[in-house]
Amino acid sequence: MDFAIEAQDLRKTYPGGVEAVRGIDFEVAAGEVFGLLGPNGAGKSTTVGMLTTTIEPTSGSARLAGFDVAREPLSARAVSSVVFQEAVVDRSLSGRRNLEIHARLWDVETREAVARIDELAATLGLVELLDRAVEGYSGGERRRLEIARALVSYPRVLFLDEPTVGLDPRIRAELLDVIAGLRSRSELTVLLTTHYLDEAERLCDRVAIMHSGRIVALDTPRALLAGLGRELVEMRVEGNVESALASLRERGVAGEDAFAVGSRLTVPLHDRSSREAMAAVHELGLAVAISAREPTLDDVYLRLTGDSLAAAA
Amino acid sequence: MTSIDLALPLARPAATRSLGPLATLARRRFQLTARTPRELVVPLLTPIMFALVIAPALKTALHTAASYESFVAIGTVGLLIPLNTMFSGLSVIVDRTSGAQRELLTAPIPRGLLVLGNLLVALAITALQVGVLIAVAVARGIHFQTTARGIAWFSGTALLFTVGMYGMAEILAQRVPRQEEYIARVPAIAILPWFLAGALFPITALPIFLRWVTKFLPLTHTLAVLRYGLRGDPSGLQAIWHLSSPAEMAGLSLAVVACFALLLTVVSIRVFSRSAVS
Repeated sequence: MDFAIEAQDLRKTYPGGVEAVRGIDFEVAAGEVFGLLGPNGAGKSTTVGMLTTTIEPTSGSARLAGFDVAREPLSARAVSSVVFQEAVVDRSLSGRRNLEIHARLWDVETREAVARIDELAATLGLVELLDRAVEGYSGGERRRLEIARALVSYPRVLFLDEPTVGLDPRIRAELLDVIAGLRSRSELTVLLTTHYLDEAERLCDRVAIMHSGRIVALDTPRALLAGLGRELVEMRVEGNVESALASLRERGVAGEDAFAVGSRLTVPLHDRSSREAMAAVHELGLAVAISAREPTLDDVYLRLTGDSLAAAA
Repeated sequence: MTSIDLALPLARPAATRSLGPLATLARRRFQLTARTPRELVVPLLTPIMFALVIAPALKTALHTAASYESFVAIGTVGLLIPLNTMFSGLSVIVDRTSGAQRELLTAPIPRGLLVLGNLLVALAITALQVGVLIAVAVARGIHFQTTARGIAWFSGTALLFTVGMYGMAEILAQRVPRQEEYIARVPAIAILPWFLAGALFPITALPIFLRWVTKFLPLTHTLAVLRYGLRGDPSGLQAIWHLSSPAEMAGLSLAVVACFALLLTVVSIRVFSRSAVS
């Protein structure tokens, strides 16, 4: 199989000994949308930095469309584009000029670039804005421009580094539609970093959950959620949480995948119904508050790391 | 849902070309500079004041010869070039902190081209400003005594000194994180040497110790060749080299300025390329 992105034992230790990425391995197939999910400081942006050749790996290797990022950086950069976490644009230039500069530097033939810019502007709703200075754009408009810029050069690999951070909910929803639209063709491989669960669930074929520089889980969102059963029961207990968990396991209500964080106890349900499980908990008199719901990727993260994604972000 | 035609993403060959991207980068820098008029005008103000107001005033006050005005007018070129290149370096910090530099660093081009693109624009703007300064001086009645060969000496030296000073500005811009810190260092780099390098008076007027120090300043060599080129006056060169042939001394000083330009350009590209990768 041809992989668009390959990372093998990729590590980054910054001067001072900070281990931002501690040896990660993953492959992304051509056409796949792959998510790196984790809170701030998990190592997502450092990973993107190494893949886009702006951060030098301490050890390990990575390839983009077969090009080694350390040995063939120009070739690796030629097949990829990045949409950065912060606005990275020439604000005093027009949107069109920003796109033209990208096209020229990525060696897109002039006539082709003109047509491509018009096409992307129409698709991303930028036609009216394109000849205005970027400093007059709203946050969402600037983001769309940056996505258009990244696509001007027909990249094989597109990096979206926290593309919706700092945007208001309406603009964020619009932008998610745009990013979802990138999936409509199979040729483009997308690596998306985010700490928003809904983005990862909605957009990604597979998700790698990062924690403290390591990948702690990697699978499809569905498979990751399936590991926690169809439903789970969440309760707050008074007193010793560990002994409450042991009691539930003894009674067969909780399995080995049940976990406790602080005073909160989460019990994935595989065979039982939530009604049965909640009745058993009531019988034991363990919980002061109890509820049942479908599992989310936050539960997956919580179980693997003992920390909530939302809280960590 | 928005659907984007991605067409066929073909494997594009690694960018081995450089003139196209260099032209693109230089054009981008020029467009950004043209939208910041202060970068064009502010560096001109002080030198023009020196050439047109202070030099005539000094001539009158000190009862010096008329040629002193042309002496100082050329001396102010030695202030204009460092000031202008330092202002150009400031835009490098702006580019890094709130511009598109990160995008450019992911482009499939050698990163040194970013420095060279900025340098081309710094050269063009400096040439324009030096031209304006000389033209205004001539219009004010200041007389220069030159030939085509003299203009070649002047142009070549000014060009090389600009290249070297831009290299210094680029290095400083990579070393300091904020504009405020950068600006605080400008007087030490752009103005202090100007007072010592024989801009307002011959270096022979300095104490012997300082005279030796000034011989190691690229600006001293630059001003000596500029005056040789535009006034036919080799006295500055003689104060440095103590030789009999003006052309030979001018060649030696030009070589010093060329070494300065080459060294600073190489170091600036190296510093930039290293700082681009963490």
